[in-house]
Amino acid sequence: MIDRLTAALARSRADYTEIRVERTWSTAVTFRGRRLESATASEDQGGFVRALYAGGGWGVASFTSLDRLEAMVARAGELSRAVPVDPPIRLADVPPHQADALLDLDGDVRGVPIAEKKRLLEAYNGVMLGVSDRIVDTLAVYRDEVSEYWYVNSQGTRLHELRPEVTLSGTAVARRDGTIEKGLESIGLRRGWKSVQDKAAGFREVAERAVQLLDAPMVQGGTYPVILDPELAGVFIHEAFGHLSEADFVYENPQAREMMTLGRRFGKPVLNVGDNGAASGLRGTLPFDDEGTPTQDTALIRDGILVGRLHSRETAAAMGERPTGNARAISFRHPPIVRMTNTYIAGATGGASFEDLIGDVKLGVYACGAFGGQTMLENFSFTAAYGRMIRDGRVAELVKDVVLAGNLFQTLDRIDHIAADFRWNQMGGGCGKAGQYPLAVTEGAPHVRIEEALVGGEVGKA
Amino acid sequence: MIAQLVDLARRRADGGADALWRRFERTTVAFEWGRLKSAGTTEEAGANLRVRHRGRVGVAGTTAVGGGDAGEQYAAPLLERALASAELGEALDLEFPGPPSPPATLPTVTTFFDRAANASLDDLIGLGRSLLARLEREGCRVTVAIEREVTATRVANSAGAAGEYRGTGFGVSADVWRIAGDDVLVVSDAFEGADLPSDEALAALVASINARLDHALRIVAAPEGALPVVFTPVGLSALMLPVTQALSGKAVLQGISPLGAKVGEQVFDPRFSLTDDPLCGGRIASRPLDDECVPSRTLSLVEGGVVQRFMYDLETAARAKTRSTGHGQRGIFGKPVPAYTNIVLSGGAQQVGPVQLGGGLLGDIRDGLLVDELIGVGQGNVTGGAFSHPVALAYRIEAGEITGRVKDAAVAGNAYELWKQVRSFGNDARWTGSRWAPSVLFDGVSVAHR
Repeated sequence: MIDRLTAALARSRADYTEIRVERTWSTAVTFRGRRLESATASEDQGGFVRALYAGGGWGVASFTSLDRLEAMVARAGELSRAVPVDPPIRLADVPPHQADALLDLDGDVRGVPIAEKKRLLEAYNGVMLGVSDRIVDTLAVYRDEVSEYWYVNSQGTRLHELRPEVTLSGTAVARRDGTIEKGLESIGLRRGWKSVQDKAAGFREVAERAVQLLDAPMVQGGTYPVILDPELAGVFIHEAFGHLSEADFVYENPQAREMMTLGRRFGKPVLNVGDNGAASGLRGTLPFDDEGTPTQDTALIRDGILVGRLHSRETAAAMGERPTGNARAISFRHPPIVRMTNTYIAGATGGASFEDLIGDVKLGVYACGAFGGQTMLENFSFTAAYGRMIRDGRVAELVKDVVLAGNLFQTLDRIDHIAADFRWNQMGGGCGKAGQYPLAVTEGAPHVRIEEALVGGEVGKA
Repeated sequence: MIAQLVDLARRRADGGADALWRRFERTTVAFEWGRLKSAGTTEEAGANLRVRHRGRVGVAGTTAVGGGDAGEQYAAPLLERALASAELGEALDLEFPGPPSPPATLPTVTTFFDRAANASLDDLIGLGRSLLARLEREGCRVTVAIEREVTATRVANSAGAAGEYRGTGFGVSADVWRIAGDDVLVVSDAFEGADLPSDEALAALVASINARLDHALRIVAAPEGALPVVFTPVGLSALMLPVTQALSGKAVLQGISPLGAKVGEQVFDPRFSLTDDPLCGGRIASRPLDDECVPSRTLSLVEGGVVQRFMYDLETAARAKTRSTGHGQRGIFGKPVPAYTNIVLSGGAQQVGPVQLGGGLLGDIRDGLLVDELIGVGQGNVTGGAFSHPVALAYRIEAGEITGRVKDAAVAGNAYELWKQVRSFGNDARWTGSRWAPSVLFDGVSVAHR
C-alpha cells in the first residue's frame, strides 16, 4: 500500500500533498433491556487527500473507492488552485518520519467470534438488570475495531499503523412511577479483547446508583464550594479549558489571541494543566498525529500561568510556535484539525487527600461522574452523574440533577485546592468538534476544589 | 444492482431481505476567520443489507462497493456477514412491505434541483464571498461554510417493493465572532434546503444575525425569578427535544415515554399541533419513500394539544404490533432506526413582511427573557421533560423591548408543564435544520443568575 500511495504522491503537482488510507474492521453488539438489539460486523475503507499549492488554500478530497485514488489526488490539487489565499498558508517544519507502528492488540478482537462478544456483553447487561426490579431498561453497547492506517506526505513521511480500540458502555434506567433516573458506565481503551474482561463491578455500581437516585432529592440550586471527583474534573478541564487551548481558535483571530496570551494568569499557583498524546497506553495516545507529527506532552498551564497551546503544522507556523502533534481526524472522511489527546489536571505534589479538600467545607457539593458537558467558549455547563452534599467537613446525603454552570475564567481562578489522587479516566464516547465525533480522547485529574461555583437544580426556587 | 443483491439474499434467507444503496458527492467551501481557506470534495458509496433467516434478523454494511453499484463480487461477502449477524439476532416478526397499490405510485415530492446540482465551485465561492461581505463588521470575525450534496438512493426488498430517487442538498452557515476582553460572543445562523438559497433566504440569514448581534452589544444584568420567557425558533430546542423523543415509538416500547399511555388525551396547549412531513417540498429530509420501502406520508403526532400517534420504523412497529409510519432511516452501517424527517410545529400566525426578533411577542412583557441559544441541550435526563441550562445567547426584555444581552443566567423548567399552557405563539415561524417552529412565549419559567 505504501508503494501505491508513494506512486500517487509522485504524480501530484501540488507543492505539498498528503494521503491517508484507512481500512477498519469493527463489530458492535447492543442490548436494550433483555433484548439483543443488534450484532453487526462492518468493514469500512477509504482515503483522504490534502493538497496545497503555494498561494492556494487547502484542496481536500475523501473517497471510499480506492480505484479513485489517482483521480482524487489530481482533484485535491485543482481545488487548492481554485481557492487563492492571501497571506499564503505555511506549514511549520516537521522532520520526515518513517515508522511501522503496530500497537499492542492485547488479544486481537478480529480473532474473537461475535457470539463470544455477545456473551460478554449479555453478562454485563444482566448484572445491571439483576440489581433491582426498579431497573426498567438498560442499554449496553460493546464496540471494537482494528484500523489499519497508512499515511504518506510529499516531505518524506511514511507511516503504517495498526490501531486497536474497544469500548463498553452501560446505561441503567431506574423508574418508580413518574420518576426516572439513570446510571452510566463507560470504558474506552486503545487495547483489545483481554482488556474488557472482569468489568462487571462498574456496571453493578451504576445500576445501584440509579436506583438510589430515585429517593435522592434534587440539589438545591445556588452557589457552593464544589469538589469535583477525578472523572468530572477531567471532563471539566477538557471542555472548559482544553478547547480554548486549541490554536485554530486563536491563530487568525486577534481578539482571541489577546485573550489567550501566553503568560496570562489563568488560575492559582496550584493549577497545572497539560495534554499528553504520548502517554503510555491511553485511548487518546498515538505515536503520530494525522499530519505525521510525533505526539508529545504539552504543558498548557504551569503554576496557574498559560504557557502553551495545541497546534497543527499550520497554526504553529502562523503563530511562530512549534507543532505539538495535535492535528487529528476521526477518519478518512475528515481533514485533520487541532484536537486534544489525553488532557489532564496534574495532581498536587504536596500529597493532599480528598479529606483535606472537604475538611473546612461547612456546606458544599461533591459532584461526581459526568452525564455530559458542553462549552460555548467562556461559558460551560456540566451535568454530573450524581452528587453528595458536604456538611461540616463530611460527605453527606446523595443528591441528583447536579448541573454545574459557569464562566471559565472565573471558575478556573476559583480552583483553590487540588488533591494528589490523580487518575486517568478511561472512558468511551469521545470528543466532538467541527462535525468530527467521536474522537478518542482521555481525560485525567485528581479531586479538585472550586471555592465557589453555581450549581443548577431547583433554579429560581432557592 | 440492488435488485440483484436482494435477489441473492432471498435465495439464502428464508424470511426475506431488504437493502439500501446510497451514493453521494459533497462539495464544500470554507471561509475561516474572514478569508477563503479550503475547498473539498467527498465521494462515498455503500450498501446496507438486512436479512431475516429462521425468524432472526441480521444486518451488514459495506463501503467496499467499488465505483458503481453493489455488484455480485461485493454482494456475496456482504450477504455472509448479514447471515452471521442473523444467527445471533433475536427473533422478530419483521414483515417487509409489498409494493404500493395501485402499483408504481409513490407520492410525489421534489428532492432534486438542477440549479443546486449544477452550481459550480465558483458559484459556491461567490455565494460565500457575498455573504462574508454583508456580515463583515468592525471588531468581528466571520466564518462561513457552504456545502452542496448530490445523492442517489435505491431501496428494494424481497416482497417486491422498490424505489429510487436523486436528491440535492444545500447548506450555508455563518458565525460572527466578537471577542472583547473576556467576553466571547458568537452569533450564528444557517440555511438548509434542497435547492440553492434564494436571495430572500440569504437576506433573512444576514438580517437574523445582524439583529441578534446589534442587541447583544450592550450587556445588562439578568432578571431573576419565575418570569415570562420567549424562546426563539432556535432556542426552542430544549422544549422540543423531550416531546419528540417521547413521541418516538421506540421510547414508548422501552417504557420511558411520558406520553406512552396518553394517546387521545389533551396533554398540550390546544393551539399546539405537531406533524412530521416527509413530503415537504425543498427540504433535505424529504423523500418519496423511507429507507425501508415504506411510502412517505404526513404523520400527525399531536393535533390541537391531543396526542394522536407515535412514529415507527418497521422493527419498532413489529414489536409494538402496529404499522410502520414510514420513518425508517438507515446509514451504510448498522440497522435501520426510527427517525423524524421534517418536524412541523403549528401555532401562531405567519408574518407578512420582515420578521422581528421575538416574533411580535415582546409587547406585553414587563420584565422577562428572550432565549436564543442554551448550553447543554440534550444532556441529562431529557425524556422526563425537566431541563436546566445556562444561556449561551439571551436578551433581557423590559417594558416590551429588548434592553441588552444577558450573560451568566440559567433557565429551568419542565417542558410538559410549560407546553400545557402557552401564553402565545409568535409570527416568525421558520426552519431551524429540519424543524419548523415560531417563537413561543411561556409564563413562569425559572430564571436564575449569578
